[in-house]
Amino acid sequence: MKYLDEYRDAAIVHSLAARVRRTATRRWTLMEVCGGQTHTIVKQGLDELVEDAVEMIHGPGCPVCVTPLEQIDKALILANRPDVIFTSFGDMLRVPGSDCDLQQVRARGGAVRVVYSPLDALQLAMRTPDKQVVFFAVGFETTAPANAMAVWRARELGVKNFSVLVSHVTVPPAMTALLSAPDNRVQGFLAAGHVCTVMGWSEYEPIAAKYRVPIVVTGFETVDIMEGMLMAVQQLEQGRFEVENQYVRSVTREGTVPARELVSQVFELVDRKWRGIGEIPRSGLGLRPEFADFDAELRFGLGELAVDEPTECRAGDVLRGKLKPFECPAFGTLCTPERPLGAPMVSSEGACAAYFNYGRLRRAQEAPRAAEVLS
Amino acid sequence: MCLGIPGRIIERRDDRGLPMGVVDFGGVRRSCCLAYVADQVEVGDYVIVHVGFAISKVQEDEARRTYATLREMSQLDELDWMRETADLGLAAFASREGHTAPGKGGDA
Amino acid sequence: MTATTLTMSPSCPLPLPAMDRVQLGHGSGGKMSAELLRTHFLPLLDNPVLRQLGDAAVVLVPGGEIAMSTDTFVVSPLEFPGGNIGSLAVHGTLNDLAMMGARPRFLSTGFILEEGLPFDVLDRAIAAMAAAARESKVMLVAGDTKVVERGRADGMYVNTTGVGIIDAQFCPRPDAVRTGDVLLVSGPIARHGMAIMSAREGLEFEAQIESDSASLVPLVELLRERVGSAVHALRDPTRGGVASALNELAASSNVGVMLEEASINVPAPVAAACEMLGLDPLYVANEGVLVAFVDPASAADALAALRSHPLGASATIAGHAVADHRGMVVLVTRIGSRRVVDMLPGDQLPRIC
Repeated sequence: MKYLDEYRDAAIVHSLAARVRRTATRRWTLMEVCGGQTHTIVKQGLDELVEDAVEMIHGPGCPVCVTPLEQIDKALILANRPDVIFTSFGDMLRVPGSDCDLQQVRARGGAVRVVYSPLDALQLAMRTPDKQVVFFAVGFETTAPANAMAVWRARELGVKNFSVLVSHVTVPPAMTALLSAPDNRVQGFLAAGHVCTVMGWSEYEPIAAKYRVPIVVTGFETVDIMEGMLMAVQQLEQGRFEVENQYVRSVTREGTVPARELVSQVFELVDRKWRGIGEIPRSGLGLRPEFADFDAELRFGLGELAVDEPTECRAGDVLRGKLKPFECPAFGTLCTPERPLGAPMVSSEGACAAYFNYGRLRRAQEAPRAAEVLS
Repeated sequence: MCLGIPGRIIERRDDRGLPMGVVDFGGVRRSCCLAYVADQVEVGDYVIVHVGFAISKVQEDEARRTYATLREMSQLDELDWMRETADLGLAAFASREGHTAPGKGGDA
Repeated sequence: MTATTLTMSPSCPLPLPAMDRVQLGHGSGGKMSAELLRTHFLPLLDNPVLRQLGDAAVVLVPGGEIAMSTDTFVVSPLEFPGGNIGSLAVHGTLNDLAMMGARPRFLSTGFILEEGLPFDVLDRAIAAMAAAARESKVMLVAGDTKVVERGRADGMYVNTTGVGIIDAQFCPRPDAVRTGDVLLVSGPIARHGMAIMSAREGLEFEAQIESDSASLVPLVELLRERVGSAVHALRDPTRGGVASALNELAASSNVGVMLEEASINVPAPVAAACEMLGLDPLYVANEGVLVAFVDPASAADALAALRSHPLGASATIAGHAVADHRGMVVLVTRIGSRRVVDMLPGDQLPRIC
């Protein structure tokens, strides 16, 4: 595929990795924010190529992992209603709620459908006027324009049986929350390339300046990530802390303005709870009052849910980069992809699942007896 | 956040006022919303698509330039990184049965 | 941008998944399917033949050994690019027999039809079934049909059971892979699963992807003629894909498997569709591909045998069996790094991340 395959070129990846190793005079700690970047790094073993130069801490850039338990439980309530067809991106189906997940609701007879695009959910609503179609509008700033358009169109076309359950989060507040934590170890960031495609990078300039951390807007393929790492390490070695753009083929400083405009017409900033982290003020998006008609929580009278969160899962520590998944006592034993304790083990981008699926070999070789327990 | 892949616009149309198009992704075609890039793109242009929406136009000149630079750099460096990677290979990726050396058979 | 200190409340639910009923993942060919067998079926039905969990059962009858296999087809949509439920039902069972080295001879079939199914759909399925049987010189000798009320059976469910003759000199078995054996993959992967996906509601896309549904009997014949008992194991990677099939063989034979990403053939539109939906081709179903573990001395001949047939024209050597990481499949990526390719718990889901 054009503009994809070239960025997986092995020769280029290795030459960049060699440059990273040569440039670093000490080991630096970087965080990649986006779950899709975590996926590539662990799946391709990129962190192993530059191990002595860079420690990668995987950030909370997995909207699946950070969707609050309350929202999952609300999704389950809606999906259980006989008058509702509950639509969602595939990522959400196996995330555990307080008592089950969307796949299990489907098993028990609830109408749950995976869609690729929010517009598909809207079209489904138009085709099935006798049912209520609810769409689970999750994601970061990348997905907000799509979800906003679905709501906008629903209003424009007068679709009465479509609504959205919103759980949007935004990146910069999470980054500042991480950076201002007293035990923060992150020295540089690979910012999320598709979030920045929409938003541009101007909001990261004050963060880089205030916390004195380089921020490199980075793509998702192996070449992109390795180049992003190199740019970050070069800045660190040179004592610079600027925002730079690696993902030049898609990202500009101002981003995609029409997308941001529609998002700001449909959504507004709200306080948002991040599962495993806690509440971060003004870190989420909620529907504006003008679009309250399309808010599934209001339409179905959901209100506040009290959720009971036992603390056996260390997802919070993993999401904040405090703990590597395999340092969690439940990793691979109590908590596996088949029986996940928390979202990071379910989501394909969750750090725990990534380590479980891709990192096992190394640990198996290092500790053969432990491997027997894990497999 | 977020699966966005590049595709080529092969058709544009209007769906009751909403700019839509058909985008080809290496042989797979899908209907996508072009509303956010409508003024910038024509048929034949490449866009990055996320959940059925084009979120940016691929800056083809930038892409070509940076790729050419990276490619050239990797060729200039080749002896160095191949040797280093082979050394790493013995340390980190040692296989007692032998396996493909890094870089071989991997070029796109 | 105001600074915010994190309000520390690390939290996570302890879900107790209600595993009191069947879920879709139990049919995925991954770990949940294995658990379904282990927990519900085997304890009650256990016997030495069933326990082996081969693609077909090999049993002794007066005169020699026969292989027997059954499979039920619930594919939706009933008709897809490259085939329909009828052709799939024949190919699937023939292939299971062929994977044990048997020469398929007879088939039986059972149809469960949904009230309201249009006759022309049924006729096309039967015609395809007949054509597939004829092509492989297999006789359909017994059948049954039932009709259920509208709303059940998704149009039509089809079961086929097949019987084949075992050649005592040619016995590929799932537990017979030896370290050093060479892994061959007979053709491009992930076509069937993505052809089905492209027709599935909610994920529609247009693609020139056709199912690879085909009888593997000719390929197996070529292997038998050319290298005979040098073929230690065969498997057709259907649901769960190449990854699941190799994991099963690695576990049955207690060997490790090294798989080379660069040697696995994924056709461009299939790769593109996988990219779009965030799916890994290694886990996507195939219906016209086989994987074979062959003695290294005969690997080149086996490869030539496969390549001499249109179905195997793009066969490759894709890896080998090793003494390390027994029971695990390890992929060598294009950039030379290695990672474990495990079985998935259930189905792969399209993702946005």
